[in-house]
Amino acid sequence: METMIHSLTALSISILIIGMLIIVFFPEKGILARWNRTRKNTERILIEDALKHIYDCEYNDTDCTLHSIAGNLAISGDRTAKLTEKLMIHGLIESHTGYITLTDAGRSYALRVIRLHRLWERYLADQTGVDENDWHSEAEIKEHAISPDEETAIAAQLGNPLTDPHGDPIPSSSGTVMKQHETPICKLKKGEYGRIVHIEDEPPAIYSQLVALGLHPGMQVRIIDQNDERLTIEADGNECILAPLFAGHIHITPIHHTKDVQHNFQPLSSLEEGEEAQVVAISRKIRGQQRRRLMDLGLVPGTSVTAVMKSVGNDPVAYKIRGALIALRNSQTNGIFIERKEEKQNETTKSM
Amino acid sequence: MDTKQFNEKEDILTNATRYREEIGENFYDTMLESIYSEAATIAKKSVRQRDDKRIYTLDRTIDRIVTSKVYGFPIMVGLLAVVFWITIVGSNLPSDMLYILLVETLHPALKGVASTIGFPWWLDGLLIDGAYLSVAWVVSVMLPPMAIFFPLFTLLEDFGYLPRVAFNMDSLFRKAGAHGKQALTMSMGFGCNAAGVISTRVIDSPRERIIAILTNNFSLCNGRWPILILISTIFIGSLVPAHIAGLVSAMAVVSVALLGIVLSIVLSWFLSHTILKGEASTFSLELPPYRPPRILRTLYTSLIDRTIFVLWRAILFATPAGLVIWLVANISIGDASLADHFIRFADPFGLFIGLNGIILLAFIIAIPANEIIIPTILMLTVTTLGMHEVGAGTGVMFELDSVSATASIFHTGGWTLLTGINLMLFSLIHNPCSTTLYTIYKETGSMKWTALAAVIPLTLGIAVCFFVAQIWRLFLGG
Repeated sequence: METMIHSLTALSISILIIGMLIIVFFPEKGILARWNRTRKNTERILIEDALKHIYDCEYNDTDCTLHSIAGNLAISGDRTAKLTEKLMIHGLIESHTGYITLTDAGRSYALRVIRLHRLWERYLADQTGVDENDWHSEAEIKEHAISPDEETAIAAQLGNPLTDPHGDPIPSSSGTVMKQHETPICKLKKGEYGRIVHIEDEPPAIYSQLVALGLHPGMQVRIIDQNDERLTIEADGNECILAPLFAGHIHITPIHHTKDVQHNFQPLSSLEEGEEAQVVAISRKIRGQQRRRLMDLGLVPGTSVTAVMKSVGNDPVAYKIRGALIALRNSQTNGIFIERKEEKQNETTKSM
Repeated sequence: MDTKQFNEKEDILTNATRYREEIGENFYDTMLESIYSEAATIAKKSVRQRDDKRIYTLDRTIDRIVTSKVYGFPIMVGLLAVVFWITIVGSNLPSDMLYILLVETLHPALKGVASTIGFPWWLDGLLIDGAYLSVAWVVSVMLPPMAIFFPLFTLLEDFGYLPRVAFNMDSLFRKAGAHGKQALTMSMGFGCNAAGVISTRVIDSPRERIIAILTNNFSLCNGRWPILILISTIFIGSLVPAHIAGLVSAMAVVSVALLGIVLSIVLSWFLSHTILKGEASTFSLELPPYRPPRILRTLYTSLIDRTIFVLWRAILFATPAGLVIWLVANISIGDASLADHFIRFADPFGLFIGLNGIILLAFIIAIPANEIIIPTILMLTVTTLGMHEVGAGTGVMFELDSVSATASIFHTGGWTLLTGINLMLFSLIHNPCSTTLYTIYKETGSMKWTALAAVIPLTLGIAVCFFVAQIWRLFLGG
């Protein structure tokens, strides 16, 4: 009898311990994760975030006030007043009749933080498997912690990238910012083609909606229909409806020459066993190591590919690529656009 | 630097930046594209391809059979079963011969020589009963199965069949966040986990490779099969009538091995969704053309690369283990040996999770080589109980020819059915042996992954034993 009570107690205590461990260590919602988040509001981080905000205001030509800083950093008015005072003592900002602007020193400090933020986003996009909705929030933490040596190493490893994965320019180490030749998508007229070069990643709520629609820089878009309530576009062959508020976050460069327009958006994954096709493009959503792997296999525009056999559940599929038999997963081949062999023949006969 | 030079330098830098902006981000793609198209043009001009239609068609026919939705899976399980069967049957005789030679003949002979020369008792015990015996044990248990299993496996690989297994299994492993080739590294782990960890080199995606390394330990390696077979025969087989005892105990062993496979897939899923979430991941799987296996070459390379390599490491680790076993049983502090002290200390916890202090000590001493767990347990049990009529002396490992004699030692030691079941579970789920841990460190170059590879299964094993013991006592009593 004694042992029975004993094991019941042991069982309930152990279940309690497991429950507590879950509460402490649960990702994002656990106590440990929450504690890590509150820890980040140290003085230096606040200073750097404030400078970034003031720079953003200058960049977007909006007014920056104590109020907007307090709102952006989510801190009290008192704390903001103390913070701006400190910034002024360090000679990083100036105040003119209530409007706050950056000094040269402040601007170059802000640009460095922005550079680190965007470099890290690029790093996450190219070198890791971190979800694209988490790039921004992870970079928000990491931007305060990268040393100059690490910065040089990361930039060199990534090949000194010019833009972050959303298309924002990365300031150079000397503090110059590349000019963006971009226009909002709404400027495009019905039937015209453009390429997405930049998707604004703030606020995260809107960005994650755009991600959910499958939009990313590098996509070819065409305006199908445009009115005051919505914008209907074709992005890499898929129709997609945007509210004007969302459309304002997407920037493009127009495609002027018709020869640059891509017409085939059939994914390689749609190829049936035994069919042959030619690769026309690889979507920009295949990034970093994944992209390099495909390139290394010789899977570049112009390569011909035959689907040879399919595995259980039709995924992965083995393709004949440049004489070798290579299996790829559908998540990869969805981003490879092809032109089937018969269609090509049809086209040539038509043109004859 | 004068002003002119300085201006020139500035000009060059500005130009460089401008060109970079003009070239844009697609530079790497464009370059590769042009390299490939250039290479294709050159190849078209200068390379003539032999018509290999016939071979190609033969390959596709084999592929259609081995990757077929109906036959693919049975063929795979069948081939693996054949490999295991050949390994078990084939290694019985050489294992027995090695055991007779190294343990039963050479060991007493060495003892005789030592006493003739006049070795002090402790040197003789340390070197011959400790170090030599443990190495001899590991060699006789480990060498024959590995020398059969690995070449067979390599033959299948050389023929081109193994990549097809990865192709068949990928959809399952993809759902667990792992790579299809993990099916291969897992199978390799049934031979030896250290070799399994080395074989994860075929997985070229960083995240999936670490998953395969961390879960390889759940493939029951050939050092652990004998423990399960013995314990299952004694405790599970005795539950049923004699004529089906063999079948039932074999099924118990197989279900523990299957539990290992299930655990490794579940753990893969868990790892890929938690600690390894952000690691980079990519997939490609080459299915090379079939070719007749080069048997001699395969035998040679697999003997050198896998068998000798793993065996050498095991011997390196088994020597100190043998020394430790002898020492803990023979060094006394106060009224008892080191082993006794530890067993007394660990017994309450051990019994609490349905094992005992002796088993825990044996698992600690046998970290270098799981092959010596059973002989160590037997030695410690008879020494602690003071059963002087059996065994080979304090600190000398032994095994009995008769299963029923072994069973009676266990029963005298206070073992129950629960102890037997939990020992089987704990043999599957505990930290990898030191050879494997060292290999993991060499392969990952990271203390973090090595530590996790030890801590995860150990915690899981203790937890599983704990829950089984408590629930057992709750429903079946003491």
